Amino acid sequence: MTDIGSSLGYGFIASLTQVVLVAIGGPLLMGLMAKVRTRAEGRVGAPIYQPLRDLRKLMAKEGLRARYSSVVLAAAPLVVLGSTTLAVAISPLVTTHPLLSASSDLFVIVYLLLTGSITMALAGLDTGTAFGGMGSSRAITIGALAEPALLVAVIALSIQARTSNLPTIVADTITHPVWTSTPTRLLALVALVIVVIAETGRLPVDNPNTHLELTMIHEAMTLEYAGSDLGLITLGAAMRLGLLFTLLVNLFVPWGVATGSSVLGLLAAVVFLVLKTSLLAVVVSLIEVHSAKLRLFRVPELLAGGFVLAVLAVITELVTR
Amino acid sequence: MVLFMAGLGCCVLGVVAATVISLERRVIVVTLVGSVGCLLTFTAASQVLVSGRAESFHSSLVLPLAGINLTLDPLGALFVAMTSFVGVATLVYCVGYARGELRSRSALSLLLVFLMSLLVVPAASSVVTLLFFWELMALSSMLLIMVEQRRRVETRVAAQWYGAMTQLGAASILLGLLLLSTKGGQTFGDIRSHVAALSPTLRSFAFVLTLIGFASKAGAVPFHVWLPKAHPEAPSPVSALMSSAMVAMGVYGIVRVGNDLLGGGTLWWWIIVVALGVVSALFGALHAVTSVDLKRLLAYSTIDILGLVLIGVGCSGALAASGHPRTAHLALIGALLLVVSHAAFKGCLFLGVGAIERATGSRSLDHLGGLIRRIPITTALFVVGALSIVAVPAFSGFTSEWLLLQGLLHGFVGKSSPTLIMLLVGVVALALTGGLTAVAFVKVIGIGFLGQARSTAAASAHEVPRTMQIGMGILCIPCVVLGVAPGIVIPLLNRAIQTGHSSSVSRPVETGIGLSLVHLRGTIEPMLLLAGFVVIVAVIAGANSIRRRPARKVEAWRGGGDRPTARMQYTATSYAEPLQRVFADVLRPEIDVEVTHAVESHYYEQSLSYESRVGDAIERLAYQPAIRAVTRVGLAARRIQNGSVHRYLAFGFIALLIILVVLA
Amino acid sequence: MSTSFYIGALELATGAVLVCAVMTLWRRQVRTIVTMLRLQGVALACVAGVLAWHEHDLGLAITALLVLAVKGVLVPWLLRRVIRRDPRSRETAPLINVPASLVSAAFLIVVSYVVTSKLTALAPSAATRLVPIGVATVLVGYFMLVTRRRAVSQIVGLLLVDNGIALVTFLLTAGVPLIVELGSTLDVLLVVVVLQVLVVNTGARHGSFDLDEMRELHD
Repeated sequence: MTDIGSSLGYGFIASLTQVVLVAIGGPLLMGLMAKVRTRAEGRVGAPIYQPLRDLRKLMAKEGLRARYSSVVLAAAPLVVLGSTTLAVAISPLVTTHPLLSASSDLFVIVYLLLTGSITMALAGLDTGTAFGGMGSSRAITIGALAEPALLVAVIALSIQARTSNLPTIVADTITHPVWTSTPTRLLALVALVIVVIAETGRLPVDNPNTHLELTMIHEAMTLEYAGSDLGLITLGAAMRLGLLFTLLVNLFVPWGVATGSSVLGLLAAVVFLVLKTSLLAVVVSLIEVHSAKLRLFRVPELLAGGFVLAVLAVITELVTR
Repeated sequence: MVLFMAGLGCCVLGVVAATVISLERRVIVVTLVGSVGCLLTFTAASQVLVSGRAESFHSSLVLPLAGINLTLDPLGALFVAMTSFVGVATLVYCVGYARGELRSRSALSLLLVFLMSLLVVPAASSVVTLLFFWELMALSSMLLIMVEQRRRVETRVAAQWYGAMTQLGAASILLGLLLLSTKGGQTFGDIRSHVAALSPTLRSFAFVLTLIGFASKAGAVPFHVWLPKAHPEAPSPVSALMSSAMVAMGVYGIVRVGNDLLGGGTLWWWIIVVALGVVSALFGALHAVTSVDLKRLLAYSTIDILGLVLIGVGCSGALAASGHPRTAHLALIGALLLVVSHAAFKGCLFLGVGAIERATGSRSLDHLGGLIRRIPITTALFVVGALSIVAVPAFSGFTSEWLLLQGLLHGFVGKSSPTLIMLLVGVVALALTGGLTAVAFVKVIGIGFLGQARSTAAASAHEVPRTMQIGMGILCIPCVVLGVAPGIVIPLLNRAIQTGHSSSVSRPVETGIGLSLVHLRGTIEPMLLLAGFVVIVAVIAGANSIRRRPARKVEAWRGGGDRPTARMQYTATSYAEPLQRVFADVLRPEIDVEVTHAVESHYYEQSLSYESRVGDAIERLAYQPAIRAVTRVGLAARRIQNGSVHRYLAFGFIALLIILVVLA
Repeated sequence: MSTSFYIGALELATGAVLVCAVMTLWRRQVRTIVTMLRLQGVALACVAGVLAWHEHDLGLAITALLVLAVKGVLVPWLLRRVIRRDPRSRETAPLINVPASLVSAAFLIVVSYVVTSKLTALAPSAATRLVPIGVATVLVGYFMLVTRRRAVSQIVGLLLVDNGIALVTFLLTAGVPLIVELGSTLDVLLVVVVLQVLVVNTGARHGSFDLDEMRELHD
């Protein structure tokens, strides 16, 4: 009984640590990527913690609702943030024994993120404006085309590890380091990087700093939000970015994740995770600096390429077993 | 068996009542009697599923040729239970929905005949019984489609297509089953015991023939052409029954003949099944994304989901044929759970579209909008069905897709490369259709229910009668329960798939607070996930509402322009346009642009008309030429009948000569 | 060299050959396509080199150097002349659009896997298991030959076919005798030189080289 109690307690502490880490770290990651970009452009730029300041400002402002909107617009921030937080809580980010680790399945995470995307798309349509519909249509088209690449890449990893349970995959990769250099993993890595860029709305798929409504994809869906609602949505988007980046590093470079049940291991894992994810963020930011935004009708080509690489990953796994 | 027969008896009683009772109370009495009958059959089926023992009934009296043979074994009981459940919900819905032609004697009695035949088909255990009730099911549904034929011309065309294709399918099934019953008798028991004596070629022929018939009923591409025509034209309760229960009969037939009667079969049979499933899933999903008519969208979505089910059934058969019974059972459980949840959510969605049609008078998405404020309860029930089909976690669609994916995933450990390729193609198809289904249903909910109303009819929508909502609500229950607590039905499914498999592998899925796979690594606990989600959302909402003023209602941002009208919103066509463009080579939309130039100068345009249609490419490329060829042959053959009596006598004489020569 | 390192390096190099082939289908810039061809030549040389080290075969090692020199350096240099005429040219309207060609490439890879699995089952070893990847490269190259308009893309398609065949020979038989390799390399070199001259001159005379617009070869 004490075993279950202590493992439950440890899982709860670990998941709480993960949620807090990603909630603070997500905006910091966005700030870091903005800082790298501005430095590369020869400017000084805002400090890394600027997104956190923006969030604090937003939470204090008055909320607004569009005239023709309904309960969907009001509930969407809660659902988006809630589903992302749940995904963060059950993922193996700092430990291989988070809360609900039995349900921490790759497909559960993928479909939780899909739930968030669907809710955002519905909120965009709920405003009854042309901009909301436009953003919603574009965002869900990109999501629908990124979904196959994501699922097949995830399946390639699951076939290699003989399970789709995330903590088990991470733990097995730690004990079998040779897996990380197989062509399967590398191809799945490239496919997942493409998908992550599409899902988090970074260049070359979407420009997060644009002010022109006709070039917006994700921002057009949130045009009608203000105040604490916008704060929740922005936090949700930042946590989504944090989750995807941390999952990416943990699937391919899992060393540093706590496998035991000691608090010291947890703290060390936090440090390692921050280091690894910051490195990935810098790399992605440099990719962003060197690429121009793709035309909307060229994005399917990019995603189709990711899909083919994911299929290649599965076939390579079948061939090299 | 007594309960089951009592249930069927109630349905017959209901048919009699429909013809006898006067107009004011007809619908209520028929509904009552029919629901009692369905409840009785549901109880009988559940008993069989829980106990695992089959029950039989035989009588040489009821049917002409060989008497009636009924056996309720766990596989059939699953489908009977599913059909009864949907039947109850549909009948309750009818009380509020029935108006005009649907309240006539013929319509209501046909409805009960249709329901009764749907209940008997899974329990039939001889070729004659199965085919008799199969034809009864087809005929009654065809007549039911034509209930409103006075109002729309398309109804008659739809009924023609449906009648022709269902008859061809039934003929194919008849041939196949006849081939199987050549050695022994025509009861399923006889067929099972004599199947080893049949040559492999004969068995393959029988399987392919029955596959064509059953796959056509299940809406597999390329035999699907009747589905998008027939399901929209029928009245909504009939559409719901057809799309949830009748298409499931196609799947039942394939599983019964392939797994049970023929005992598993060879690998290439199941390759064909998977190929049909993959093409159906992709085709259905693409057309669902680009449809504007709500019922047509749901019909294509049925083709999509049934394609996924066929992938599951095919991969299961292939895994069993290559020696992996455990993963085969897992894939089959996933496929059957998907059939059951599809019955629930597709029934709910079709009944919802009927409610929308009753409330606004239109079922075209481009004329709806803003319904969430006018008819909130109907919206909520519809959204439950839609969330289930999109596979949001904690709904039944997600749980069934998870099981199916696990079955395919763990099947990759084998060495037989055709099986591996099939699994790969199946997995890719599942991945591709997941995103497309999400787009289709976000389109439905977002454009149909949210935003501003796009027509006066939608702006003045009124809530539908309570019984219609109750009918939808009954079907929403399995959508949630099967997703959150699948442990209730998984043991029943375990028993249902044992039919026909002589292997001793009994339980590929263990149930506790969630699902866990036996001897394989994979678990989910949807109930805990839902609980966690609710807790997190409560915490966030609580933290968000501390010392906060309520939000202020303002005009939406319109880029500094005028007040936004409903016309400025995205329509269903424009929402799906990016995807239509990406897949233009597959969809082949027909685009017509007409330009009227100004009188003064050819360089100015007075008016411009743009029309775009996404038709069914398979119908245009395969069926229309075939129909034209058959018509040509028919017209040419008319020359035989030129009215000359001598020619007719000569035909008879020549035929007699030929027979004499052959006999000699 | 330890076995697992050998297998890992072989798999990586072979995978790189196929990935370069897929990238030539994906990218539109003609310069990028030729760069991918160059990378593929290097990867092919690596495959030969790894096999040579494992088998301690000097002839194969020389072949690896030859492949590096010809496919990695010489052929891309020859193609430079064709590119230089129009450095920013892009494959703007292939006969089958890019997402569809990528999906077709996935399909071709699956087909090659199905077709060669019986073959590799005859003599399973770490190297022969990777033969489907070589066949896939051949099919992808042929596909590119069939569906692309720009002259350079079609030459690259032909060279992909040749690279794929070379990969299959390396994997199956640890290379053919040096003299045969020399002969086939010279053949390919000759073809590339002729094609390059043809394209440059036709382009200079007629302004463009679009195979779709040349329909004189009929009755």
